[in-house]
Amino acid sequence: MAWLDFALPCLYSFLACVGFCIVYDLRGKVLVLAPLGGSIGWLVYLCTAFTGNDIAQYFLATVAVAVYAEIMARLDKAPVTVYLIVALIPMVPGGGIYYTMEQCILGNMEEFARMGAHTFGIAGALALGILLVSAFTKLLHSFRLRLRREEERRPKEGAK
Amino acid sequence: MDYDELLSVATAVGESLLENGAEIYRVEESVSRIVGAYGVQEVDVFAIPNCLITTVVRQDGKSLTKIKRILSRGTNLDRVNRLNDLCRRVCRDRPELSQVRRELEEILRRPVYGLAVKTLAYGITAFAFTLFFGGNLWDALCALLFGAAIKQVAFQMEKLHSNAFFVNTVCSALTAALAMLAVRLGLAANMDKMVIGTLMNLVPGVAITNSMRDIIAGDLVAGLTKMTEALLVATAMAVGAGLALSASHLLGGG
Repeated sequence: MAWLDFALPCLYSFLACVGFCIVYDLRGKVLVLAPLGGSIGWLVYLCTAFTGNDIAQYFLATVAVAVYAEIMARLDKAPVTVYLIVALIPMVPGGGIYYTMEQCILGNMEEFARMGAHTFGIAGALALGILLVSAFTKLLHSFRLRLRREEERRPKEGAK
Repeated sequence: MDYDELLSVATAVGESLLENGAEIYRVEESVSRIVGAYGVQEVDVFAIPNCLITTVVRQDGKSLTKIKRILSRGTNLDRVNRLNDLCRRVCRDRPELSQVRRELEEILRRPVYGLAVKTLAYGITAFAFTLFFGGNLWDALCALLFGAAIKQVAFQMEKLHSNAFFVNTVCSALTAALAMLAVRLGLAANMDKMVIGTLMNLVPGVAITNSMRDIIAGDLVAGLTKMTEALLVATAMAVGAGLALSASHLLGGG
């Protein structure tokens, strides 16, 4: 069934993230909410397969995870990094690192270089995704702060 | 105003944040906000992953400085979460310093999961990631045992204060060796999936994520330090698994 191809990987990444939450000593509702981010990320990865470029898929999935983490952190009044660290784990290119290493041992230097560059590209996509969302949130935050300050100033000027 | 106590409480909060996996800017901001909440005009905080320096200037113009060397760093996100809460509360309500210290100690006394639960968590993570990367159910069940095994090995080695690079190398060599054995015995089919799934446990998730967040916050020194840490751990994993694989090639069997 087609929908299982989507549901199962998301379920697996959820379970794996729960394991990570316990390793990082998290308790309470975060044990469900943070792994949910991992599932959402992988769902976005699977749904963007039409781009035909897995580095782009990883990038979009990371952006989704980071946005989810920013929103949840604000709702829960928790640090963003708590949600982000857990939910990003399934995106780490473990397979890429392993197969790159394997090609190195087998002595296929061309494959080694190709896979190494590809894995590096995925890591770069992750980094870029986190950077972009984090920078954009900061921008949004200072913009809202300025708006609020201007609003506070306005009535005073009217009173003069 | 007891500046000594203020400095030492604020630094203790910062130290605990740093030790448990918070980003650098969160540490610096928390310390300077706590000190600022009690009316100190001039405060400077500088943190890198293994050191925290705080200076406050007293009303009479004299400066007080405290340097905290951070020797052990782990990840306890529950504590980071609570300490963050504590910091918010202190800035809002400005409680007595003795009460802040009491609450800090309470947070540090909060229960952590025991070794058995963490071993199980490693197993579950390995199980789920093996399926995630395309292994079958038998692979995943084997990976569950491997995950539990590497947690035990890592725990024993950490008790002996072995360095992180060596721990990761040994754990990943062990994983690869166990996976090869399982395939040889006919228990499982896909060695690569088992190794990848189990080794995801050792992935430096905190270092990767926080190094990016540090860099965007402008803490370049801390960001580079953590990125180096992440690269070292990844290299250790590759070296360990690679050692086991090449050993098996040398012994004539693949």
